[in-house]
Amino acid sequence: MTDVAVPSPAVAAMATRRSVAYRLLREPTAFVSTLFLVLVVVAAVLAPWIAPYDPYFTDQAKALRPPFEDPSYLLGTDAQGRDMLSRLLYGTRLTLLMGLVALVTGGGLGALVGILAAYYRCVDGLLMRTMDVLLSFPAILFGLAIAAITGPGLTPIVIALAIATVPLLARIARSTALVVMQQDYIDAARSVGLGDAAIIRRYLMPNCLSSIFVFMTLRFGQIILIGAALSFLGLGAQPPTAELGTMAANGRDFLFFAPHIATVPSLSIFAIVLAFNVLGDALRDVLDPRLRQ
Amino acid sequence: MVRPKTWTTALAAAAAMAFGAGTALAQGNTLNVARVIDADRYDPPRTTARSAGDILFLIADTLVALDWDLKTIKPLLAKSWSVTPDGKTYTFVLRDDVKFCDGRGLVADDVVYSIKRWVDPELKSPVRGRAGKVKDIRAKDPYTVEYELEEPFGELLFQLTQYFASIVDKASVEKLGADFGVKGFNGTGPYCWESWVPRQEFTLKRNAAYKWGPDFYANRGPAHIERMVWKIIPEDSTRLAAVQTNQVHITQYVPYIALDQVMKQPNLKTQQAQSYLWTYYFGFKVDRELMSDIRVRRAMNHGVDRDALVKSVWFGHATPAYTPVSPDTPDFNARTLDTPFKYDVEKARQLLDEAGWKPGPDGIRVKDGKKLAPVFYGINGSPARQLAEAVQGDLRKIGIDLQVNLFDATIGWGKLATQEFDAFAMSYPYVSVGDAYNLYFRSAAAPTPNRMNWKNPKTDDLLARGTAAVTAEERRRHYDEVQMQIQEATLWLPIIHEQLHLTASARLDGLRAHGIYGCAIYKGLDFKFK
Repeated sequence: MTDVAVPSPAVAAMATRRSVAYRLLREPTAFVSTLFLVLVVVAAVLAPWIAPYDPYFTDQAKALRPPFEDPSYLLGTDAQGRDMLSRLLYGTRLTLLMGLVALVTGGGLGALVGILAAYYRCVDGLLMRTMDVLLSFPAILFGLAIAAITGPGLTPIVIALAIATVPLLARIARSTALVVMQQDYIDAARSVGLGDAAIIRRYLMPNCLSSIFVFMTLRFGQIILIGAALSFLGLGAQPPTAELGTMAANGRDFLFFAPHIATVPSLSIFAIVLAFNVLGDALRDVLDPRLRQ
Repeated sequence: MVRPKTWTTALAAAAAMAFGAGTALAQGNTLNVARVIDADRYDPPRTTARSAGDILFLIADTLVALDWDLKTIKPLLAKSWSVTPDGKTYTFVLRDDVKFCDGRGLVADDVVYSIKRWVDPELKSPVRGRAGKVKDIRAKDPYTVEYELEEPFGELLFQLTQYFASIVDKASVEKLGADFGVKGFNGTGPYCWESWVPRQEFTLKRNAAYKWGPDFYANRGPAHIERMVWKIIPEDSTRLAAVQTNQVHITQYVPYIALDQVMKQPNLKTQQAQSYLWTYYFGFKVDRELMSDIRVRRAMNHGVDRDALVKSVWFGHATPAYTPVSPDTPDFNARTLDTPFKYDVEKARQLLDEAGWKPGPDGIRVKDGKKLAPVFYGINGSPARQLAEAVQGDLRKIGIDLQVNLFDATIGWGKLATQEFDAFAMSYPYVSVGDAYNLYFRSAAAPTPNRMNWKNPKTDDLLARGTAAVTAEERRRHYDEVQMQIQEATLWLPIIHEQLHLTASARLDGLRAHGIYGCAIYKGLDFKFK
């Protein structure tokens, strides 16, 4: 008797997934940005354990220390004598969290709207015109309007970012879903008598996921950037909370004399956004069958 | 680390390139002035902003002027005045050679009109009370004005030096209506209104007929400088670069962090006002649960290290404050300094312990399951934000978690008029003890500017008696007592008394900073380019 290995569909799917990760990491830029983002996320998550100081402990006597001068304050101190490295770790944590909450809520809602619009063509016009209306407002304007009602803080920023993400994801999800809807397996699923909910859940959604995921990765970078911009305008975290955009904004008064207060958080924003963009691009290349050789 | 000096030069050069192109053309006899914010309007009795005063002192005159010492009253539009023995009627004799910018001569009716407009309840002037309880204002003849009060008001002449009391032209007010002080203005100042682009720049041109300036200026004729352009440059770094590269010729808003460096720079010179009354403080709403215990308010006073604040926020250019007004203030009671609530962390902790606030697991004090986390409101800006953060950091060390909320100025004033916060930060100018205490501590001044909600009959009574006192001794007696009472009650956490510096290009002569309402240029009559 010979054992004939018949690959099960699950194993095949795993192989594809593995190869996606493999092909992604073979790209040097994608590898570096992934590595960087993993480090950033780990550092942010572990901030309370690895930060050398309490990020909120002020010491006026130690204010405005430049970086790399005193080994106990590697990145120097800010105008209140707080340790910049500790604030950077906590700030990154909050900035990433802010972006993630906005992305998941806004992006999730947007994707749902897009898929529903593609599946139920009768509501397509209504849903997508509503999205167009939302799309016509810049995120900054949403932020300003919401902050005017609630007062400054992280909540209005997250709400603004989420709302601004909904229409973008809705469009991407709808166009992808429309292509998927043309596939024979959808007709097949219908013909065997599956209900709408089952078709959407089992066939439509999974097949839209890859392009939604790529877009979300790219969008995450943008969200962080817009969030930082809103914080920079003074709408964001209130003192003493460390958040990268707010830190950059507060540092600009000291740009001449202690440039590190503004540049350290600004460079972090830059590096994080860049890494997400590079990763998003690489993911698109890997997942797009047309670019596959 | 690159040396700060190198950075400064590089950034200054970059800013000069970005900023310079347009301004380089308009040189000649034009003085460019830099400041931080604009005012919402330039109608004397309808604003309290320092930024309105900057311009109004230049385009309008008051009956009397205030000398450099902020104590001596000098003639301006009125060449002399007298007071009746009961202190209720002031008679002003006006100069007969004063001309408005449109060329018309000033007469007593203009003074009567301007003061009546200021105290008219319909105008809703926020500073109406500063005119005293006016019974009537009359023109006895074209150059004599009688100012009659219901009761004596010892500081009337001081109030009449402020820009709220500017004399304006009735025809111009009526012609422009709601646009008066927005689209135009007709006054008798050393300068005339030319144009205003809100939040950008204000252009003034010289009033060539001007010869009635106060005698503490060397120049008794029209201003030497033909035009003034007041530019709004909100960013500290940009403003500093503009000053260092002489894109602007003068400013009183050099960021504190740069002041030492600017003082050493050979192409600039800096002058400090000899007298200046402007104080930063935190106020407590005494009727709120967390703030009602005087021990908590005193602990907060003991918990804040003002000396460190002066160094870190004002870079040494301020004086720590332990009283609501500066010791230089007329009628200041020096005995209030015997009970200052100085920096003493142990004392602060002890007071909080006594008040029943025990440290919780995170170090923040708790009583009956409630955290000692007072809500703080302030208006965002520099140095307000640094100040709030520094005080927050100090209070955290004694177990108080100050919940800082900083608002943009556009909504901040509205928020500060609510009852939803425990503490707030503010800074204010004043001319005397009576001025400051009447502004803040009368029951009638609640809810603003008496945001403390301090309603005390004894305070009201002492202030009323002090204000209406005819003799200086009587006034002092009442004001001394009210100062002691307020000091004991600890309604504020005084932070610092501000210093005023005027920085200008070394090419500019006649530089001297005036402390009046924080408007250092005042009449600007002696400025002259070399």
